[in-house]
Amino acid sequence: MAAYIIRRLFFLLFVLFGVSVLIFGLMMTFSPERRAAAYITSPQQAKDIPRIVEQLGLDDPVYLQYLRWVGRVAQGNLGWSLVASSTVWDAFWRYFPTTLELNLFAAPLVILVGIWLGTLAGVNRDTWLDHATRIFAIVGWSLPTFLFALVLLMVFYGYFNIFSPGIISDSVQLWLADHPDQFTRYTGMYTIDGLLNGNLRVFADALAHLVLPVITQVIVVVALLMRVMRSGMIEEMGKDYVITARAKGADFRTIYHKHARKNALIPVITVAGQLVALSMEGSIAVEVIFNRQGMGWWLAGSATQLDMPVLMSVCLFIGVVFVVANLIIDLMYAAIDPRIRLE
Amino acid sequence: MSAILQTRNLITNFYTYEGVVKALNNVSITVRRGETFGLVGESGCGKSVTVRSIMRVISAPGKIEGGQVLFFRDEAKPDEAEDLLQKNEADMQALRGDTISMIFQEPNAALNPVMTVGEQVAESFLFHRTASLARDAVARMQDEPGAYGLSGRLFKSFLQKAAGQDPRLPMLKIADRLPLLRRWRKPLLAEALKRSVKIIGQLGIANPEEIIGRYPHQLSGGMKQRIVIAIALACQPDLLIADEATSNLDVTIQAQILDLLHQLKKTTIQSILLITHDLGVVAETCDRVGVMYAGTVCEVAPVRALFEKPLHPYSAALLNSVPKLHQKGELAAIEGSVPNLVTPPTGCRFHPRCDKALEICLQKNPELKRMAQDHFVACHLY
Repeated sequence: MAAYIIRRLFFLLFVLFGVSVLIFGLMMTFSPERRAAAYITSPQQAKDIPRIVEQLGLDDPVYLQYLRWVGRVAQGNLGWSLVASSTVWDAFWRYFPTTLELNLFAAPLVILVGIWLGTLAGVNRDTWLDHATRIFAIVGWSLPTFLFALVLLMVFYGYFNIFSPGIISDSVQLWLADHPDQFTRYTGMYTIDGLLNGNLRVFADALAHLVLPVITQVIVVVALLMRVMRSGMIEEMGKDYVITARAKGADFRTIYHKHARKNALIPVITVAGQLVALSMEGSIAVEVIFNRQGMGWWLAGSATQLDMPVLMSVCLFIGVVFVVANLIIDLMYAAIDPRIRLE
Repeated sequence: MSAILQTRNLITNFYTYEGVVKALNNVSITVRRGETFGLVGESGCGKSVTVRSIMRVISAPGKIEGGQVLFFRDEAKPDEAEDLLQKNEADMQALRGDTISMIFQEPNAALNPVMTVGEQVAESFLFHRTASLARDAVARMQDEPGAYGLSGRLFKSFLQKAAGQDPRLPMLKIADRLPLLRRWRKPLLAEALKRSVKIIGQLGIANPEEIIGRYPHQLSGGMKQRIVIAIALACQPDLLIADEATSNLDVTIQAQILDLLHQLKKTTIQSILLITHDLGVVAETCDRVGVMYAGTVCEVAPVRALFEKPLHPYSAALLNSVPKLHQKGELAAIEGSVPNLVTPPTGCRFHPRCDKALEICLQKNPELKRMAQDHFVACHLY
């Protein structure tokens, strides 16, 4: 088991190499001048471009530039983010906790609600309950995230004036700025830090700011999981072992929850794992509309301003996330399905 | 001999997109106490649907739409029958696996792949023998108080309640639904596993203690089929239904399993309803046989009578198509193919393939007629 995990993590190196070659190649399609332009901030500095090209070696052979970049990345120097006006590394640790915090609340909800509703729909196939969950799923899945987020914001913030956008209220922010000694940012996530510091005011305030983004995220993502769970349950309910269980006198509760569900969960694990991994890069629509400075927000800004170091680093990060997520998925497979052995 | 199970004009339909599949058309069979009754026929003739209708485990889109399934529970009162089709689901659950149980054709598919075989056998006891398991557990805890660890200590009163009274007490039912209280059943599972070890051992599996911890994919086909049989026999049913129990096994394993059933017949089970398409198995194991074709019973006879003098043209053709050692040339086959049961042939369902068909065969569905002592046939020829 430990050997298996180590081998899989070793495999991560190859993935990262592949990802780095790809994104570096993509960057090389821009001319050296275009890349140098990212370093200037006003039209007056345009005359400096040839100097920057030469200074940074943007004209050098591709492999040399690649090696130079890899060398820097290996030392932990991911470059400078113009959007964040700090190093990419620092900016990452500023923005990532915000995204992680959202997912910390959204992912368990997505998984629990998805499995629960999917099971319900699957075992009550073709009843009103099934149709209702299916309509809910189709609406959730096909509704554009930004639209749904805006409607929520208009209703709850604009009309009822509860659940304001942002990460934390201004008053709390000011209090935090005034009392830096009373609040330690352990994780960068206000809810968790609030609990760790024993400060329930910060916790409650941060939680209130999470309500709408979490609802949006759950409604939009849960549909897929629900559908997989539903079809899994329907498929398993048609298998022979269900008839065996019925023939030995099992009640439907036992059949659904003990026999069929465990088998139906196997494909659900894959989808859930991928969804969680995908959400680690942050939902751009959710973060921009609810004004949460997370990965999606940062990525959106970086992409529009061609903040290359950021884009490349985030690509590497996503590569790591997916390799680790797949590893966890495989470990869970082995835990739930005795037929799978980790070799 | 008195009857133990009787179906009367059983009708089961499947509502598919192509139309209504009339899978069973007035199926009437009788299984007598103490006998092995064989049900033979081609694939798709409704053998499995018949027994699944008896057990009421037909899954959607199938529906039992008419007839009766009479079960004679008490040998001493041969006139008292209960109609299984009139029972509610809870009563059926109490009956399935306890008084009537079933073994299946595909041992690979019949076992849940993610549960250990021990757990799957133990379920039979857990469903039907809660009180007796609880009594065992309470008795064991009197001998050694720490027998089941924490769950035994915490839920002793639950176990005593379950042992003394009806295990379907509302209090225990509520506990079953709650996350931590559900663990009161742990000692029961331990006892049920002990009984599982015993029954698996009796069915000829070497070191059963080790086997119960395994998953189905870790066992051979023959072993899996023995586990399936163990599940069915756990509560010593009055009637065992074997749905093609040997069809998917190697010939040697097949012989072993048939041998096992034969022995069990002598010792534990009273009556067997055996479904097969293998006439060899029928000849070897059954006392009486029913021949089915396209959802109808066309002949019922003692096994010798059927093999010596089949009356129905279909039975005769079926027997004729069995390969024989001394036979030369091509194997005899029945012309045509099994009819589509969405639009079954009018009259006798066999008439399009029957070389002796009369005018009346197209119009009228033949009734089962008694031809000799115990020999019935549904054919216009007689």
